[in-house]
Amino acid sequence: MSFLSVLLAAEPAKAAAQAAPAAAAPEAHGPVADIISLFGSFGVDGPHLLVQLINFAILAFILHRFAIKPALGQMEERNRLIEKGLADAQAATQRLADAQKASDAKLNAASDEAAKILADARHAAKAAVEAAKAEATAAQTEVIAKAKAAIEADRVKMLAEVRGEVSRLVVETAAKVLEQQLDDATRGRLNEAAVKQLAR
Amino acid sequence: MSAASVRAEAKRLLALSLEGGAVSSERVGAVLAALAKSRSAHQLRPLLRAYLTNIRRELARGEARIEHAGPLAAADADAIAAHFAKVLGRPVRPVARRNDALLAGFRVRVADDVTDLSASLRLANLAKSLS
Repeated sequence: MSFLSVLLAAEPAKAAAQAAPAAAAPEAHGPVADIISLFGSFGVDGPHLLVQLINFAILAFILHRFAIKPALGQMEERNRLIEKGLADAQAATQRLADAQKASDAKLNAASDEAAKILADARHAAKAAVEAAKAEATAAQTEVIAKAKAAIEADRVKMLAEVRGEVSRLVVETAAKVLEQQLDDATRGRLNEAAVKQLAR
Repeated sequence: MSAASVRAEAKRLLALSLEGGAVSSERVGAVLAALAKSRSAHQLRPLLRAYLTNIRRELARGEARIEHAGPLAAADADAIAAHFAKVLGRPVRPVARRNDALLAGFRVRVADDVTDLSASLRLANLAKSLS
């Protein structure tokens, strides 16, 4: 049954209903009649209520079709977007946490590397210092050895010079003494001895 | 004449100047007279210089130049010359000269050989050994 047919069918019923109270009113008694009478005292009558219900249904249908459903669709879309945003936010948070973790790991690795480099640098510096100390010690030892050698050489040279000078003086003195002390007779005897030595 | 030919000619002239292994004054005179006749003065100068050097060397080979401190008997000089003649295998005559700087003993030179038996050499060796 369509809305129009219901509405047309309701008009004779409404007219009959308006004509009926005069005839039927004296006959209606009981709780139902009281309730109807009560609703009637509030202005509620059956056909009018039916029409209102139909109007309300049409309005509800139109509202549901053109307002509520699109609004619900938009709300669902909004909810979907919100959920997606929340999911994205959660994913971003997760990624941020991962990135933070990776960053921390890299930072720790860099820190370890820096510590290793620092330790290596300290070790190298210590080795360089030790090498420099060793070199300085070797150079010092060499200088001392050279100085000692030079002193010893000077001492030996001086001793040799003194010895040579003393020897020269001794020989010169001996030669002068011999020259003064040897007479011809002694020299003659020495010459004879030298001749005999040559003959041997 | 080249230097080599001059030396060779001087050596040949020296051989002509020897008599019994010793330099003979007569032969030297004959050689010089022959050279004076056969060569000009310009050609003779280098040859005579080389010849003189050879004669001096040959004379030194036959002389025992003895330097001695104090007196040296002639017999001792002869004994020294005889010693070197025996050692070298040629006649050697003594030429003595007094040199008191030797202090005692003597020094003999025959050609390029020197034998020193002097006190001065011994003192010099002593000085070397002490220094």
